[in-house]
Parts: sequence; C-alpha cells; structure tokens
Amino acid sequence: MQHQQLQHILKHVPAGIATLLGPELRFSFANEAMQTLLGGKPLQDQKLADQVDILTPELVEVMQQVYQAGTQFVAKAYGLKHALSEAAEDEVPRYFDIALEPLKDEHDAVQGLLVFVLDVTQQALAQQRAHELARETRRLDARLRVLTETAPQIIFTVDAEGRFEYVSPQWYYFTGQPTTADLNLIWPLLIHPDDRLRVMYQSESARKAGVGWSYEYRLRRHDGQYRWMLSRALPELHVPDKPVFWHGAVTEVNDQRELSEALRRGEAELRFLADSIPQLIWTATSQGFIDYYNQHTLAYSGLSGEQLGPTGWISLLHPSEQNLGARRWVHSVATGEDYEGLFRMRRNDGEYRWHIIRARQLADSRGPRWFGSCTDVDDQHRLREVLQAQYDELARTNRDLDTFVYTASHDLKQPLHNLRGLFDELRRAATFQDEEASVMLEMLDDSLSQLDVTLQELAATVQEQRQLNVPAETIDLQSVTEEVLLGMRPQVQETNATIELNFAAAPKLLYGRANLRSVLHNLINNALKFASPLREPRICVSSALSETGKPLLRVEDNGLGMKPGDAGDGMFQVFDRQHPHIAGAGVGLYLLQRIVNSRGGHIEVDSTPGTGTRFTVYWFE
Amino acid sequence: MNHIIYMSRAVRPLSDQDLHELLEQCRRDNALHNVTGILFYSHGNIAQLIEGEPDIIGPLYEKIARDGRHSNVHKLADKPITERSFPGWSMAFHPLEPQGFHELTDFLLPEAVPESPSTLTIADALILDLVRQAVFNTERSASSAAPTLSSGGA
Repeated sequence: MQHQQLQHILKHVPAGIATLLGPELRFSFANEAMQTLLGGKPLQDQKLADQVDILTPELVEVMQQVYQAGTQFVAKAYGLKHALSEAAEDEVPRYFDIALEPLKDEHDAVQGLLVFVLDVTQQALAQQRAHELARETRRLDARLRVLTETAPQIIFTVDAEGRFEYVSPQWYYFTGQPTTADLNLIWPLLIHPDDRLRVMYQSESARKAGVGWSYEYRLRRHDGQYRWMLSRALPELHVPDKPVFWHGAVTEVNDQRELSEALRRGEAELRFLADSIPQLIWTATSQGFIDYYNQHTLAYSGLSGEQLGPTGWISLLHPSEQNLGARRWVHSVATGEDYEGLFRMRRNDGEYRWHIIRARQLADSRGPRWFGSCTDVDDQHRLREVLQAQYDELARTNRDLDTFVYTASHDLKQPLHNLRGLFDELRRAATFQDEEASVMLEMLDDSLSQLDVTLQELAATVQEQRQLNVPAETIDLQSVTEEVLLGMRPQVQETNATIELNFAAAPKLLYGRANLRSVLHNLINNALKFASPLREPRICVSSALSETGKPLLRVEDNGLGMKPGDAGDGMFQVFDRQHPHIAGAGVGLYLLQRIVNSRGGHIEVDSTPGTGTRFTVYWFE
Repeated sequence: MNHIIYMSRAVRPLSDQDLHELLEQCRRDNALHNVTGILFYSHGNIAQLIEGEPDIIGPLYEKIARDGRHSNVHKLADKPITERSFPGWSMAFHPLEPQGFHELTDFLLPEAVPESPSTLTIADALILDLVRQAVFNTERSASSAAPTLSSGGA
C-alpha cells in the first residue's frame, strides 16, 4: 500500500524523476514528467546514450562521470534546447536544475543514478531580465552623467529644505570654487547682493508651495565678474506625497540679456527719434497693416492711433487719390517693391498739403516689416507750380516774339525790294538839279543796303534761336573752322587777311554743331569787318582750357578795337553798333551772346581802340 | 450696426471635411443671428469680416477668439457702419477636392471673390484687400513662414 502510494506520488510530481541502472545507465524508472521531457516515448530499459539528442552529449558525459565517481552533482539552470515540457511549443531553450545522485548498494558500490530534473525556465528568464535591466540602468546612468556634465549648464538637485543634493561639475568650473567647498554656504554668497534676498525668497516660496521656479539673477564667476544666470527647476513628484527633490539647471544668459537690453534701448531711442521728427513716420507689418504712427502723424492728422487704425492713412489722402494710393500699397505689399508717390494729405484743419509718401520693406531675421515716411513738400510743390507757370508764360512770350520778328523781317523784305526797284527806276528816269543830289542818292542807297542786312540778320537770329535745342555732339574744331572759312573765302581774299588756327590745346568740343558754326562765323566775320585800314588783318583763332579745366575759344585780331561800353555787356545789346560807318545791323554779337548764354557759357571781350580786340568764349562757365 | 475684421492662424490645417462642417455651422448660426460677411481660408490662414448688431457680433467675436481651432487671433477693425456691405454670409477657400463644393451655397473659390464693396470706407476696403492678399497669396506667406518653422526644430 505504501509502496503504491509512493509510486503514485513519484508519477505525478511536476519534476522529472528517473533511475538509471548498470554501467550502461539504462532507465529502470521514469515518471511521466521525465517521459514528456525526453519526447514522450516509453523509456523502460532504454540506454541513456540513446537520449543524447535531447540531453546533449555534454550532460550524458557528466552523468557517466558521476556514475563512475560515485559523488553527487547538481547542475543549476542548465539549458536544454530540444527539451519538451508541457508548456513548450517551439524550440526555445528551457532551463533545468538537474540533480544527479549515485544509487549505492549496501556495500557502498554504485549501482546506478537517481536523476532529478526541475524546470526552472521562468526563474532563469527572470534572472536574465533582471541582469539586462541592471545593465540598461547602468548605461542610462552613464548617459545621464555624460549629458549632465557636458551640457553648458549647471545641473542641480535640492531637497525640500533647499540643501544641495547634487550639483554638476560645471558649478565648480564657473565659480572657481574648490570641490571641497560647502555648496549650501557658498552658493548664496556668490549671488549678487542686490539679487540675493529675492532669489532666496523666490526659491523658498516655490519649495513651500511645491512648484517649480524660473528666475534670473547675477552669479559671481571665477574671475569676479557677475554674470546673469537663468535658474529653472521642477519638483520631482511622487503622488500623493509632497515633493522631496527639485531638479533644475542654471544657464548663463548674460549675452542674451545684454543684447535684448541693447535692443530695447535701441528701439526706445529710435521711437523717441521718430517721435521728435516733424515728419510723418510709420511702420507696418509684412501684411501691410500699420502698427505704429509717430507723434507728428497724430498731431498732423488730429486723429488718435486707434482712430487711424491699420489702414487709416489712406483716408487722409485727397479723395481723388485714395484709390490709386490703396492700389499701389496692395501691390507693394504683394511684391515687396518700394512704395513711392506724391499725394495730398489732409491736415487737422482740413487743408490738403502735398506729401511725398515713401515706404521700404526691411527683411531681416525678425521677418519683413515696412518703414514709411510722408514728407511735406507742399511749399516746394506750390513754388514749383508758380515757377512752372511763369516759365511757360515766358517761353510762350519768347516764341511769340521770335515769330513776330521773323514774320516782320520777312514781311518787310518785299516792300524793301519794291522800294529798291522804285529807287533804281527813279534814279535812271529822273534828273536831279541839286549838286548834293549824288551824295544824297548814295546815302539813300547805303541806307537801303543797311536795311536789307538788318532784316537778314534779324531773320538769322530767329533761325539760330530755333536751333538752340539741337543736341550736342563732339566736334573737331579744326575741320569745322575750315568749313566756316571756306564759306567766307570772298571776304578773306578781299581783305587779304591772314588767319591762324591753333586748336592743339583742346581739339574737340561737345556742342551743337550749328551753334558752333554761328559763333565762329560771327566772330571771324566781325574781325574781318572791323579790320584796320592801316594794316593787313591778322586773325588768330585758338582753343584752350580755362583755369577750371573747361574748354574756351579765343579769336584775336589787330583791327580797330572798341571803346569799353557803359556796362560790361553794353556792346551786346541788339542794334547797338560800335562802328556806325561800317555796314551791319549790330545783331551779330547779340546773337552770339544768346547762343553762348543759353548753353551755360559767357563771352568776355578785351579790346584796345586802334590796336585790336580779343574775344574769349567760355563755353560752359 | 457694427463690423469686425480679424485674422488668425488655424492650429492645424483644415481638411475639406473640417471646412465643410465650418461652413455648415457658420451658415446656421449666422442666419439665425442675422450676421453677414465673408470668410477667407487658405493654408491655415483665416480672415473674416462679420457685420451685425454690436450685441450679437461682440460676443460672437469673443467666442471665435476663444475657439481652440485657431490661434493668433488679431482684430483689425471693430467699428460702427451705416449699412451692410454683404447681402449674406459666404466663405472662400481652395478645397482639395473641388467637385463636392461647387453645388454648395455660400461657397466661393478665391478667384471668384468680388472686389471689396464700395459701401465700405476706403480704409476698411483696404483692410479687406490686404487680408485677402495675406490669406491667398500663399507662395509668399509659405516662403516667409518657412524659416520660423525650421527654427523650431532640435
């Protein structure tokens, strides 16, 4: 009965039990668990060596050694790859505690082995996991340490009483304190005296309230300089307990603080400047909404910033210009192009004044913004309008005069021609008794000739005037002068004049071609006309650069010379003639004067009666 | 009678479904309270003009400003007007799938939005023109928004 019970128990225990007998270690008994473990086949009288697939050669070897040595052996958490237990479904390794006990007879001789196999897979895996967890924890710890000690910040942990539990080495580098320093004593002393009380109070009240903190203060660096630091910390919460530790970091923010301080100061100064300028100044967002109007804008418009609103400036414009102003602004905001326009803007008294409105987009790291100004140009604008009106009036009068002169000279030509014909007819047909008649006839003839020349020259003046607007070109003085002289060959031959040309000093001139020809023609003609009867005329035409480096033209003769006029420019009045006995209308020099003046130059004369005259044409000064 | 114009940014881009629901909700509420106006939406940019009695649109704006679906709500105008400029309420946006939207009443494609009504003052019409440009001119706003987005990383 007892034996049966024992058999039953052995059969059902959740551990593999078997006895192996004889030197070949044949199974004599194996319970169910052992059978399952070894593949489920009956094991009675099987040799141990046949189970080598599952039990591994190594274990079989050990079991044989235990049998021979006769001493027990226990293998802990031994892995059997192909072992099948009740739970096993695939070939994951399972772990067993294997106890090997030699079975001895009464003479202490070894008969066989008692094998006891216990599945410890769960325990083994748990142990393995614990081991891996410990390794991972060490790894994380190392990483945290590296991060903590390399971050450009001081990392710290304080307890609820404010005592330092941990501080990273950066604190010692920053403060220059020895590692033996008592943090709790030294740290408060390194805080700037002006900040110390506030920091102590803020930190303590945060710890009392169980919340984190974030404040800035000045901390003394190793070189004695106080630097602005930002201290931030958060409590470590273990609900529902009160926090026990605060972890945080202290970051140097000195540069940022100084920069933002400078920015604030700069902005305040700029705003003050903008508010002090008697101009309308404003700024706008990238979307085109005005976010600042200066004081003067408010004073000028008589409206508050709120009344003006983000686009209120447009309603200040003259109603006829509002649409154009708005369209242009929308376009500028869309494209980023500069905004510029001349608009009338309403003042607080209702008067519209002309303003130049300008705005430019500034695109920097803070994103695009618009800066604009409106400059009052009303006075200039009105003055310009008046001047323009006067100028137009003058130009018209001038044109009318020219036309009148031209028409008059032209219209007078025909009667003069008739008069000349009649006079010639009269002289041929009639006889005069008076002995002075021939003298008078000659005088009459002269007067008619002179009238003819005058009319021609008047017409030429007007013609010349119309050519003043011809564009300038670079002209070779030598060739132009030769051309002009070619046209005057009869006069030159008649007077037997010597003409010298010398343009080496300034061979080219940028001028209107027709104007230059007129100037040359008139001056040379003048020199020939007023030649002295006592000597052969010598005329010298030359170019040079003035003291200021601008080109000039000189025409010198050895003719009659002139008396200096009443005023400096007296000799250039129209119809004013220096030598009444020589034919000419006195229009020539006046014409010269007009040409040269109109292109920004002037003419100087240097003359000695009976010796000669020198004309100097300063083309551009 | 008052009108209010504001701009804001959607917290996350609105899907066609979101826009559809928003359209329905606004149409219902606005018809009920006799609120008229127009809403522009594109790429997370929102702008709206609403007109109605001050004791209606004042609280309505407060409610809109507190709505968690958008942020940076920025009021550009809030003032009395003599008459309405919009006969009803409508919404203009680019749907991803335009098919389903064409039949909807109160929906407009941004290209179809009419010129700012002449009943608005010149200053208010300019606000409306500028917000429309800011909402729909996406190439520019996308390029200017890019740096701020990338600077948020790491």
